[in-house]
Amino acid sequence: MSAFVRHPASVEEAVGWLASIPGALPISGGASLMAMINARLVEPSCLVNLERLEELRGLSLQADGSLRIGAMTRHRDIAGSALLVGAHVLLRQAAAVIANRPVRNMGTIGGALGHADPAADYLGPLRCLDAEIEIAGRSGRRSVPMSQFILGWYETALAPGEIVVAARAPPLPAGATLYRKVARVSGDFATISCALRLEEDGRGTTARAAIGACGPAPLRSETAEELLRGGLGDAEAVARFGAALQAHADPIDDVRGSADYRLKLIPRVLASAIAELTGADRG
Amino acid sequence: MAEGLALIVNGKIARVAVGGAKTLLSALRDDLRVLSPKRGCNQGVCGSCTVLIDGEPRRACLTLVERCEGVDVRTVEGLANDKFMQALQRAFVVSGGVQCGFCTPGVLASARALLAETPAPDEGEVKAALSGNLCRCTGYRTIVEAVLAAAKEVSL
Repeated sequence: MSAFVRHPASVEEAVGWLASIPGALPISGGASLMAMINARLVEPSCLVNLERLEELRGLSLQADGSLRIGAMTRHRDIAGSALLVGAHVLLRQAAAVIANRPVRNMGTIGGALGHADPAADYLGPLRCLDAEIEIAGRSGRRSVPMSQFILGWYETALAPGEIVVAARAPPLPAGATLYRKVARVSGDFATISCALRLEEDGRGTTARAAIGACGPAPLRSETAEELLRGGLGDAEAVARFGAALQAHADPIDDVRGSADYRLKLIPRVLASAIAELTGADRG
Repeated sequence: MAEGLALIVNGKIARVAVGGAKTLLSALRDDLRVLSPKRGCNQGVCGSCTVLIDGEPRRACLTLVERCEGVDVRTVEGLANDKFMQALQRAFVVSGGVQCGFCTPGVLASARALLAETPAPDEGEVKAALSGNLCRCTGYRTIVEAVLAAAKEVSL
């Protein structure tokens, strides 16, 4: 063993090292971090290997019906988990289309959250599911709602030395879900993505939706979702819903598409995803 | 030089030096001269370094070698007597699934993992399993045909 890679025995030991060793970085699956090290985009002084920390592994249903996914849980395991039912299926749908099979055998949900690539496939679904992110640091544990976890481009609520411990999705009313990823080719990052779930109550059905890759954080508007209630079959109401999300977008130009192109796609992808979930496109 | 690490590569114990963010790919190619995994993009995109770790296809270029102690690392060199690999080799020859050959070891690792997991894959499953292996000769059609033919042969 080298001094460069350290193997903590507990989350507390891991965050202790991360806080006290200048330039230390946590390594989860390595799917993004190792690529960045290979490209010399980051040069950590040491890597704190989270792999053996039992507390960070696996999915579990909690007593209150919420679903907890440990940070070290791989995309492959989320894509194949029978514990994801009802609205939580959205996470399985997203995990299944991340990159390709070898990368899904490596990458983890905690790593994806810590890296916070705006095009990462989990961000929209977690936002759409009202998830909370459990965080550990030297000063203790805390929980941050997904709506407040991403602060800017690749910038998260994680303070230096803190790590993601788990993502927790609350129990939600059952409803159809869909993860729509628009990408140039299979396995690429999303040009734009749409996480969608239908939610019904006495006042009618509405859509809960989060758009990815059109700004630093997923776009969601609870206000617009309430205005849409009962109007999923009304093309004009759906168009207004798309326009409301479009108004919050801050996309960039990159190799996957121009900012203009992404803006144009927002209402179209939303409308087509809603039509697919409500069965309107089969009518 | 940092203290070494014991890897199990193709069924044999091999000691490699560690230090820095050394990858499994570097240990295989640079230290052990196991040369079938290729250093293509070094970013986990091209798939030419794909190897089997405990039977699963993974990227050697994104794998920290210090996380490989005690795991079973397999490359095509260590699959010469494997029934799936033998069927794949024959099928690749017959259908012309090899052109320049650079992507081939990674393609074979992914295909071998597929056949071991899914005995009778359809064309869509083959394409999905190989979607992380780029072939710049664009020989995909013959590659997919070869994997389908190998699956058929193994199941006979």
